[in-house]
Amino acid sequence: MSHLHLPDGVVPLWLWAPAWPIALALLALSNRSVPPQRVAYQGALGALMLAAMAVPLGPLEFHLTLAGPVGILLGAAGALPVVFVVSAILAFLGHGGLTVIGLNTFVLAAAAATASVAFRALGRLRPAWGMALASAAGQLVAGVLWAGIVYATLRAGPLPAGGARPAPRVELFTGLVLVLWIVGTLVESVVAFGIGRFLMNVHPALLPRAPKARNSEVEAAA
Amino acid sequence: MIGLLAQLDHGASTGATPWHRASALGKLIVALGLVGLGIFSPSLMLLGVLHGIAWLLVLTSGLPKRVALAAAAYPLLFLVLLVAARWDGTPATVLLLVLRPLTASLTAVWLVGTTPYPDLFAPLSRILPRNAGDGLFLTYRALFSLLARAEDLQQALRLRGGMSGSPRRRLALMGEGLGTLVVHSFERSQSLYSTMLLRGHSGRICGCRHYARMSRADLWVGGAAVALVAASVLLWTSP
Repeated sequence: MSHLHLPDGVVPLWLWAPAWPIALALLALSNRSVPPQRVAYQGALGALMLAAMAVPLGPLEFHLTLAGPVGILLGAAGALPVVFVVSAILAFLGHGGLTVIGLNTFVLAAAAATASVAFRALGRLRPAWGMALASAAGQLVAGVLWAGIVYATLRAGPLPAGGARPAPRVELFTGLVLVLWIVGTLVESVVAFGIGRFLMNVHPALLPRAPKARNSEVEAAA
Repeated sequence: MIGLLAQLDHGASTGATPWHRASALGKLIVALGLVGLGIFSPSLMLLGVLHGIAWLLVLTSGLPKRVALAAAAYPLLFLVLLVAARWDGTPATVLLLVLRPLTASLTAVWLVGTTPYPDLFAPLSRILPRNAGDGLFLTYRALFSLLARAEDLQQALRLRGGMSGSPRRRLALMGEGLGTLVVHSFERSQSLYSTMLLRGHSGRICGCRHYARMSRADLWVGGAAVALVAASVLLWTSP
């Protein structure tokens, strides 16, 4: 569901306003932990995310996000600026709001960070399977976060002053969200499987393994 | 979506309206003001006027109407669901829920469609952390070359039967195709970073400095700002 970016003006202020300083603080922190020579690689993978999002996979503008694979390849700290930039460029296109770039970043970053952590935890599996399962875990977490934001928006979002505030019909959203969530998770996982299988065969140094091995391999590859 | 971005990018670089000649900084301030006023406006009448101003900006920006409409209408899918879930039977609720996001997306389209990306990202890169500021430039720069490669890949997959078979097979093959793009991205990023170092990269991409250079065309931006302030002062307390 993380592909359906939240627009401006519908999310309550108490939800989107704190997301900005938190996102900027996390970006500043990640700035310290990611070496500057990775900036070009991050930019290239951000472009890959945008390119993947440009390919429609069915109705409702459904498309891939690649947040899971990007999180696995760059790590949680490395993926954060990437998903921020992707959210910002999409917002400039009207795909997602300018004020909610922070929130949209969190949704994509949740997928990336969860996938990164899960991939390490699944270190005994083959990389293709690890990538698929880790991406699925990322999509599940991002979906929960996205649904939480949407439900908060439905319950507390702006309405005309003085008007009645009837209980929102959440079942409408729940039905659609569940279907898209399951389909999205399956699609992202199978694609991540393909990416993992290809990288394992062609350029395994790009895949993180155990933390110690990862550092030496990335340095060697760089 | 990328086709849309390409057309907006082309319009921003080749357009000849006063908006294109105006400084990026002035337009950025007006755009943020318009989005902010739209979001916080307590009055539907004011919101309607702000929405009208946003349309006026887009229609005078020289962008093809089809492109402007397609870009501005993206939030509609989400809004249909939101309105269906929250409608209380009054038209005011529908107008409020629809006009706010559409005003914002129209404003974003005007800004991006009249401002080349180096000028647009330059002021942002000065206030964002380095990794995000640099990422804006590098991601945008890499996007179009990667897209051309992705289209070639898609065609090759189709010609070699990669688009046939079960959905699982097709998606896995698509993943392998994306894997080739990951490898390409990695190799390209290595040479790009080396080039950046050779050209004296100081650890931060700041973009060009003429994003704040004012010209006579900025009077139009000033006029838009005055219209926003006047509408807000006059209509803030109206229903």
